[in-house]
Amino acid sequence: MTERRTQSRIPLQPVYVPADLAAFDHAAKLGEPGAYPYTRGNRAHGPGGAGWIQRELSGEGDAKRSNEQLKYLLERGQTGLDVIGDTPTMGLLDPDHPLAVHAIGTQGVSLCCLSDYRDLYEGLPLERITMSHSLPAVFAVAALHCVARERGLAPAVLRGSVIQAPYYCEDCSYAVHMPFKLRVRMAADTIAFCAAEMPKFHAFIEDTYFISESGLDSIEEMALGFVELRGLVRELLRRGVPIDRFAPRIAILLNCRMDFFEEVAKIRATRRLFARMMREEFGATDPRSWAVNIAAHTSGLTLTAQQPANNIVRGAIQALALACAGVQAIEVSTFDEAFRTPSPEAHLVGLRTQQVIHLESNVGQVADPLGGSYYLETLTDDLERRISEMIESIEARGDAAELSDSGWFRGLFQTAIERHARGIADGTTAKVGLNVHRVPEADDVLLREVAERKIEPARERIAWMKQYRTGRAPEPLREAMAALDECARDENANLLPAIIAATESGATMGEMSGTLRRAYGHSADPFGYPDAPL
Amino acid sequence: MSSATREAKNIRVLIAMLGLDQHEVGAVAVTGLLRDAGMEVVYAGRFNLPRAVVKAALEEGVDVIGLSCHSWEYLYYLDELLALLREHDLDVPVIVGGSVVTTGDAQALLAKGVRAAFGPTATPAEIIAAVQELAGAATQPRARSTAPAP
Repeated sequence: MTERRTQSRIPLQPVYVPADLAAFDHAAKLGEPGAYPYTRGNRAHGPGGAGWIQRELSGEGDAKRSNEQLKYLLERGQTGLDVIGDTPTMGLLDPDHPLAVHAIGTQGVSLCCLSDYRDLYEGLPLERITMSHSLPAVFAVAALHCVARERGLAPAVLRGSVIQAPYYCEDCSYAVHMPFKLRVRMAADTIAFCAAEMPKFHAFIEDTYFISESGLDSIEEMALGFVELRGLVRELLRRGVPIDRFAPRIAILLNCRMDFFEEVAKIRATRRLFARMMREEFGATDPRSWAVNIAAHTSGLTLTAQQPANNIVRGAIQALALACAGVQAIEVSTFDEAFRTPSPEAHLVGLRTQQVIHLESNVGQVADPLGGSYYLETLTDDLERRISEMIESIEARGDAAELSDSGWFRGLFQTAIERHARGIADGTTAKVGLNVHRVPEADDVLLREVAERKIEPARERIAWMKQYRTGRAPEPLREAMAALDECARDENANLLPAIIAATESGATMGEMSGTLRRAYGHSADPFGYPDAPL
Repeated sequence: MSSATREAKNIRVLIAMLGLDQHEVGAVAVTGLLRDAGMEVVYAGRFNLPRAVVKAALEEGVDVIGLSCHSWEYLYYLDELLALLREHDLDVPVIVGGSVVTTGDAQALLAKGVRAAFGPTATPAEIIAAVQELAGAATQPRARSTAPAP
C-alpha cells in the first residue's frame, strides 16, 4: 500500500482517534472563534447570510473595457472587486514600451496614468465597495488617492486593498527590475502612508498566492509569506510606526489547492501563528492586530487545459474548503485559466460557484465547522510547527536582501517548479484528464471553444500614449519629476506625496519607475532602451 | 527512435520566452526535463525579443531553439524570429510549447516553419523525442559561431 501523505508530503495515519488529541490544550490552541489565538476565525460568528466578499479576477484591454467588466460582475451579484494589471503594468512599463506591444491588455488591464485610473473607477462607489488591487502598490495607491479627492471623497474613507510583493517578485512572476532595497522601501512607504492617510485601506496584503503558483507546497507558501511579512513589519517598526497603527490592516491573500483538509488546516495554523507572532514577538496590544484577515484565490496551477469543465469542479471543492476555513474573501480561478484571463462565461461560473456555496450549502452558518476534528486539529498543529521551523531556518540564513540577490530564493522556486512538473510527469500527482482518465483530443470539446478564445492586444494604446505624452503641460510635470527624484534620493522621505504630485501632473508609471531606478543607481529602462525624453 | 536521432548528451538546446510573458513555470520545468534527459540547456529566460533569441542561438551554437509560452505574444513574434534565422542562414529548428498553444495554433505554427509545436497535452517523452529527432536531423553538430550577432 502506498504511503499516505498530504500534498505537502506530511505523513498521515489511516485514521485519527481521541488519543491523537489526548494532550491537546483547547484553550491555548483554539480558544473561541473571534478570540485569541484566532485559530477558529477572526470573527465570533460564521459569515452567515452576509457571506464572504465574493469577487472574480478582472482586467482586460484598457481601463474603460475593464470598468465594463467590473460592472458586469457587480450586476450579477459580485460583492467586491478584484483587478489585475497586464504584464507591462505589473512590470512597471508603459504600454508604448517596445517590449509591451503584443502584451497590452491581454492578461489584465493596461494602466499607466491618472486618466486610466479615472476610467477604471468610473461609476464605482469607492467608499462602499472594496477593490482588491493586484497592481503595483505604490502607483495604484497614489492614483486611487487622486481619484478619490477629485470626487470630493476623503482618502480616509477609502476601502479595499493592494498586494505587496517586494521580496520575491523578481523570482517568480512580475519582475519589476528594481533593487531589493527600493522594492522594500516602496512597500513600506505605501503601508506607512496608508496607516496615516487611508486607515480603512488594507495596504499591507501579504500575497502568498502570487508566489505559490510556481508550485510551492503549503508549508513553503506560508513560510516564505511570513518571512516577507515579518521583514516588512520590522522595517515599519524601524521607522517608528507603532505596530498597532498598521497591524490591524494586514491581510494575507493565500492559495487554496486541492488537498481539502491540508488547506483548511493551513489557514487555521496561519491565523494562530500570526496572532502569537503579533502579540508575543512584536508586542501588539490591540486585539485587531492579532486577528489577521484572510483572503484567498483558488489555485490556477491545479487547473488543467484538458477537459476544462473539470476545472469548475476543482474550483468548487477549493472554494468550499475556503468557506469552511472562514476566510474573508474568495476568488475562484476560472475554468479557462490555463488559456487566458477569465472570459465573461467563465467569470459568471466562478461567481455562481461562490453564490451556490454561500446560499445553498449552509456551510457559513457555523464558525469553524470542522474545528475539533481529530484529523484537522492534528494537521493544524503539524502545519504550524513545520511552517514555524521553515521560517526560522530561512531567517537563520541571514539577510533577505542577500538571499534575494544571491539567487537563493530563486533556487527555491525553481526546485518547486521542477518538483511539481515531475510529480505530474511520473503520475505521483494525479491530474484527472491530464495524466489519468485522459480522452482523445478530438473528444475533448466541452467548453473548449470559450476557453481558447483569444484577446487581441490593445495596441491602440500606443498611439493614445503618444498623444497623451505630448498633451501634458511640460513645466509642472518637469517640476514634479525633479521633486520625485530628490525625494527618492533621501531614504528617510516617504515616496508617496511625491508620487501623488507627479501622478497629478500627468507623469506615467513608466516615467516615475525610471526616475526611482535612476536614483538607486540603475538605468531608467530595465531593458536598455533609451530613457524617456523628460 | 529514428536513425537520425542524436544522443541526448550531445544536444544543446536554447530555452527562451518572448516579450513580457512572465509565467516561467513551463520554461523552468522543460529546462529541468531536458537536463534530466541528459541534454545541455542554455536558459535564456524571460524578456527576450526575437533578436536576442537569434543572437543567443548563434553565440551558443545550439541545436534546437525551444520557445516556452504562457501568453499569446509568441504568435506575433514568431514571423520575425523565423525571418531573422533565415537572414542569418541559421538552420536551427524551432520548437514552440505551452499550455496556451491550441491545436489550431500548432497547425498554423507548423505551416510557418516551426518544426514542432506542443500544447498542454504533450507528454515529457514526446517533447524529449522531438528534440532528439530534430537535433539528429541537423546536418552536423554545430560549432559555436563567432559571427556577429544580429
